[in-house]
Amino acid sequence: MTRPSAVTALRSDSARPRKRPRRSGVLTALPWVTPTLLLIAGVVIYPTILMFWTAFRKYNSYGIEQGSAGLNNFIGPAGAFTFPTVPWASVWTNTVVWVVVVVLLTLLLSLGLAQFLNKDFPGRKALRLIIILPWASSVVMTTTVFNYGLQTDVGLFNRLLVDTGILQTAYGFTKDPTSAFWVAVFVAIYVSLPFTTYTILAGLQSVPRDVLEAAHVDGAGAAQRYWQIVLPLLRPAIAAATLINIINVFNSLPILKILNETPGFNTGHTTTTLIFAYKSTLGPGVASALSIFNFFFCLVIIAVYLGIVKPTKEVQ
Amino acid sequence: MAKLTKALALAAASVFVLTACSTGTGGTASSAAAAGQLPATTIKILAPSYGDSSQADWQKIIDEFKKKEPNVTVELQIEAWDNFTDKVKARIQAKDYPDILNDNAFASEATAGLLYPINEVMSDSTLASIEPALLKNGLGTDGKQWAAPDIASARLMASNTDLLKKAGVTAPPKTWADLETAAAKVAATGVSGYGMPLGSEEAQVEASLWLWGAGGDWPQGDKLVANQPASVEAFTEMKKLIDAKSTQPDPGATNRQAVADLFDNGKLGMYVTHSGLMSVTRQKFPNIHYELSQIPSKDGTPVAFGVTDFILAFNNNDANRKQATKEFLDLFYSDPMYEGWYKGTGLLPVTTSMIAAGKASDTDNAAFYDALSYVKFLPVSNPQWDALKNALQGTAGTIAKDTPENVLSKIQAQVDAQG
Repeated sequence: MTRPSAVTALRSDSARPRKRPRRSGVLTALPWVTPTLLLIAGVVIYPTILMFWTAFRKYNSYGIEQGSAGLNNFIGPAGAFTFPTVPWASVWTNTVVWVVVVVLLTLLLSLGLAQFLNKDFPGRKALRLIIILPWASSVVMTTTVFNYGLQTDVGLFNRLLVDTGILQTAYGFTKDPTSAFWVAVFVAIYVSLPFTTYTILAGLQSVPRDVLEAAHVDGAGAAQRYWQIVLPLLRPAIAAATLINIINVFNSLPILKILNETPGFNTGHTTTTLIFAYKSTLGPGVASALSIFNFFFCLVIIAVYLGIVKPTKEVQ
Repeated sequence: MAKLTKALALAAASVFVLTACSTGTGGTASSAAAAGQLPATTIKILAPSYGDSSQADWQKIIDEFKKKEPNVTVELQIEAWDNFTDKVKARIQAKDYPDILNDNAFASEATAGLLYPINEVMSDSTLASIEPALLKNGLGTDGKQWAAPDIASARLMASNTDLLKKAGVTAPPKTWADLETAAAKVAATGVSGYGMPLGSEEAQVEASLWLWGAGGDWPQGDKLVANQPASVEAFTEMKKLIDAKSTQPDPGATNRQAVADLFDNGKLGMYVTHSGLMSVTRQKFPNIHYELSQIPSKDGTPVAFGVTDFILAFNNNDANRKQATKEFLDLFYSDPMYEGWYKGTGLLPVTTSMIAAGKASDTDNAAFYDALSYVKFLPVSNPQWDALKNALQGTAGTIAKDTPENVLSKIQAQVDAQG
């Protein structure tokens, strides 16, 4: 064992024969898992408790606490789900479209890209490096570059589109909530591609060549080989990439927030950006109330996903 | 294993170093106070950045203060105007109240009982040195003086004289009808006619200007009312300009700075501006020739917009800090200190002596000084103002795609929901 870690310590512990008293096993593991447990308590459990507490307290918009709120933060006159003029129909649709479209398109594009990068061709190393770039730079930075490029007066992308005749006049892509939303979808796919591609590429490299050659000899066509050998073997990689992408994309704030320049409760919100709009106008209580919903929504997605795909089984 | 121990030791060591750093600043409490000087304490200032020199302008006053009160530590935090309110909220939520806050609103903090009435932390003579008409603006609805203005600004309309001449407009418009024609003519030459910033930054200002131009105002009794005949009239007129494509594109997502940038680059005929923005135009864009005039209204009555920013003093339940705050503020408003500070902001002063001096010498801003006599102010002391401001910032821009009546009833609904 070259690198002792909490995980390996736990594994060897559970592999011990049952006869040994359990308590001493837990005690041996304790020093190894304590840092992790402390971390989880500090950055996961404490904020969650605080979120629930905050959701039932009354705050003014400056975040000054003013006593108990009961259910007012959820369904009061200025509650998260009952505040007037919030376009709920588009918020729900956007949230679902955002997650499904970004995750699915990223996955499909990554499958193609990974297949391509798995081939031997001159310059493959350089190309692989270039594809990492959007992953290596910060999401806020990448998004800001897109935002500047798409500005009506000074944006280079707009200039390019006009000069090439694709657009008649410059268009304010980020000034309208709907078009801003679709630009955000594009950027989200762009920044999710590297991780997904590399996960799948790693999966592809573990597909044994001899199996593929054997199938080839037996007369299986390229499509048959892909569908019946490569794809099933990629299942763990795809499963892991999808799960991580769903959570990442659902919780992603910066892309939508930076690209949607229209203020207020417009038709470009997802539930995640709405939390932040509430935070600045109605205070932390109402924002937390909606966060709780987001929290459960995320849990349900993961549960459904785990139930259907059973990724943990495959990964092990 | 050895590696891990090493890493742990390193981590532990760095924690010690960090804590040592953070205690370093507060650990100078021991020196005994000399006669007549304040005991050792720390006061904190949170202020927005009005320009590149803001940090240095505050520091000059702090240095002078340190000469008089060497035992008092002054912590200064300067933040950009963008999201300044969020910074204030963060300090309040962390219960780390600044002793002195420079902001553009005070009602929320006053209502929550976090502030000293400002006359408790300023001497009577300092209060008396502030122009009474401006001082009134810091009066709460409960009649207490919760804040003192520290800077004023008047807004007027700037017109690019070259662009107007090219479009065949001889004088800046004074009525809405004139503005419609002038903006349309300028827009026909290929640039934007009138800059209308209805984005998240200043929709409340633009909307108020048009409401005043229609002869109305937000307060009706002690309530703020968005949905009233005068505001419908105002929003209808704004929509007319947008529909005629006489404004810059996408007014609902444009902030005042973006409009100013268009003007400075000769791509905009007219917009409502303040002295700070115009000093940038004068210094960095000398090719832009402009003229300042009253903001157009329905019948031609002059409209001008007044803003004062405020000094607020938070109650930290500490007599020493309160005393130090008082001495600092008295020094801040003294002529030699205040003159340098207000000039750094590019805006107008609030003390009677400085206003008189400015009127006499500052020819660039003469029009703004004159406008101070007829400016109107936003109802910032009304506790409902925050709700109305947020609703205007988030919703006023939708008139480009919706009817004025719908937009205003949405704004009204948001204000009503927050009580």
